[in-house]
Amino acid sequence: MAETTSLRIRLVTPDRIFVDGTADSVSLPSRTGYLEVLYQHAPLLAEVGAGEVTIHGGNIGDRVIFVSRGIVEVLPDRVTILAESAIPPNEIDVGEARQELEQGQRMWNEAGDESKRYAEANRTIYEAEQRLAAAQGAGHSA
Amino acid sequence: MANVLDLRRRIRSVKNTRQITKAMKMVAAAKLRRAQERAYASRPYVKMLSSVLDSLIRRVDIYDPETGEARHPLLVARPEKKVTVVIVTGDKGFAGAFNTNVLKATNQFIGEHSDVDLDLESIGRKGRDVLRRSYSVASFSDDRKMEHRAAPRSRKARIEIVGEHTGMLDKLTFEKAAHLAHTLVERYTACESDAVYLVFNEFQSVMTQRVLVERILPIMEVGKQDIASATEIDREQREEMVRAAHTAGVSVQSEDTREADEEASKFGTAQVDYIYEQPPRQLLQELLPRYVATQLYHAMLESAAAEHASRMTAMDAATNNASEMIDKYTLTMNRVRQAAITKEIIEIVSGAAAL
Repeated sequence: MAETTSLRIRLVTPDRIFVDGTADSVSLPSRTGYLEVLYQHAPLLAEVGAGEVTIHGGNIGDRVIFVSRGIVEVLPDRVTILAESAIPPNEIDVGEARQELEQGQRMWNEAGDESKRYAEANRTIYEAEQRLAAAQGAGHSA
Repeated sequence: MANVLDLRRRIRSVKNTRQITKAMKMVAAAKLRRAQERAYASRPYVKMLSSVLDSLIRRVDIYDPETGEARHPLLVARPEKKVTVVIVTGDKGFAGAFNTNVLKATNQFIGEHSDVDLDLESIGRKGRDVLRRSYSVASFSDDRKMEHRAAPRSRKARIEIVGEHTGMLDKLTFEKAAHLAHTLVERYTACESDAVYLVFNEFQSVMTQRVLVERILPIMEVGKQDIASATEIDREQREEMVRAAHTAGVSVQSEDTREADEEASKFGTAQVDYIYEQPPRQLLQELLPRYVATQLYHAMLESAAAEHASRMTAMDAATNNASEMIDKYTLTMNRVRQAAITKEIIEIVSGAAAL
C-alpha cells in the first residue's frame, strides 16, 4: 500500500468479524452521542450505544450497519468496534423491535422504585427506538 | 442352525441400520464443520474483549488502596457457601459418551462439594433428564421470569435445580447466552451464589478435547481459564475420533489462528494514553458482565462442536460394527447354504448307490 490516509475498520461481533476493510471516515454511535472518526484521530476508548455505524469511502464502499452494545477502540490509523449485535438496517425485524419496545415499557412500569431497573428499562426502550428509527430510515414500511 | 431365509432377513435389516447410521454420521460431520467454523469465528471477539478488559483492570485501580477490597462486585471472591453449577450437555442422544462424560464430571464435582449448597442450571435436555431424577427443582417465591431469580428463596434441599434450558443449543444466539449470563451475574451480585462453575466439553479441534470444570465467577484473571478440573479424552477415543473425521472429510487439526489471535490481543492495549469517553471504571462495569456472557457463549459453541464430533464418532463406530456384522452373517449364510447343498448331494448320491 502506498502512503495511506485511510483507516482500517473492523467490526467484530461474537459470531464473526462483520466488517474488515479500509475507509476514509466512520461515524459511530457512542453512548453519549455520535462521533465522526477520521485518519489521525487521537486514541480513544468509548462505549458504543445503539445506533448506526456509517462507513465512508475505502475499499468496502459506503455501508451503514446498525449496532448495539459494544466498545470501540480508536487509534490514529485504525478503528475497531466490538459490538454484541450488528445488522444492516434493512434486515431489522420491525415486529421484534416493537415487541422489545413494549417489553421495555412494561419493565419501566414495573420497575417500582429501583433505580437499577429503571436504567435497564430505559436502555431497552432506547435501543428498541433506535432500532425502529434505523429500520424506518432504511425504507421499511412502518 | 438358522436357515438361509432367516439369515438373509437379518442381513437386510442390519444393512438398513448401517445406512441410517452412515447418514447420521455424515449429517453430524456436516454439522461439526459448521459448529467448528462458528467456534473459530467467535474467537476474535473473546480475545479482544479479554485484552481490553485486562488493560482496563490494570489501569483502573480495582482494589481500594485503603480497604483492599475490589471495586467491582464480579471481582470479589467470597468463601464458597452457595455455588451455582452450569452444566452444558446436548439435547439429543446417540452421541457416544458425550453426555455421560459431562454428567460424570458433574457428579464428581457434587461429590467434592458435599458441604455447600449447590444450585444446578442445566443447558441441554439430556443433562436435565438425568439431573431431574436425582434432584428436586427449586421453587421461587414468585414464579416470575428469569430476571427475578436473584431474590432470596427458601431451600428445600441442599442441591436444587434452579434453571433448565432445553433447545437452547440448537439455534444458539449470543442473546440467549447473554440472557442466562445476566441471571448468573444478578445472582452473584445479590450474594445468592458465591461462585459459578461451568461444566462443559471444551473443543479446540478433533484432536484436542476435554471435559472442563471452569470457574467463571468471580473473575480472577481475565483472559485465563480458571480450571477446577479437566478430563482429557483417552487415547483410544481420540484415535477413533480422528479416524471418523478422516472418513467424513473433516479437518482434524485446528486452524492456525495464532496470527489473528495476536492481532486481536492488541485490542485496547496500545501503549498510548487513551481518551476515555466514559470513565474507565464505568467501562469496566459495562464490560465485565459481558465478558461472562461471552465465556458462556463460547463454551456453548464449543460444546455443540464437541457433541457433533462425538456423534460422528459414535455413528462411525456403529457403521463399522454393522459392516462387520454383515460380513459375519454373510459368511454364516453361505456356509449354511453350502451345507444344505452338500447334504442334498450326499442324499442323492447315497440314494443312487442304494439302487
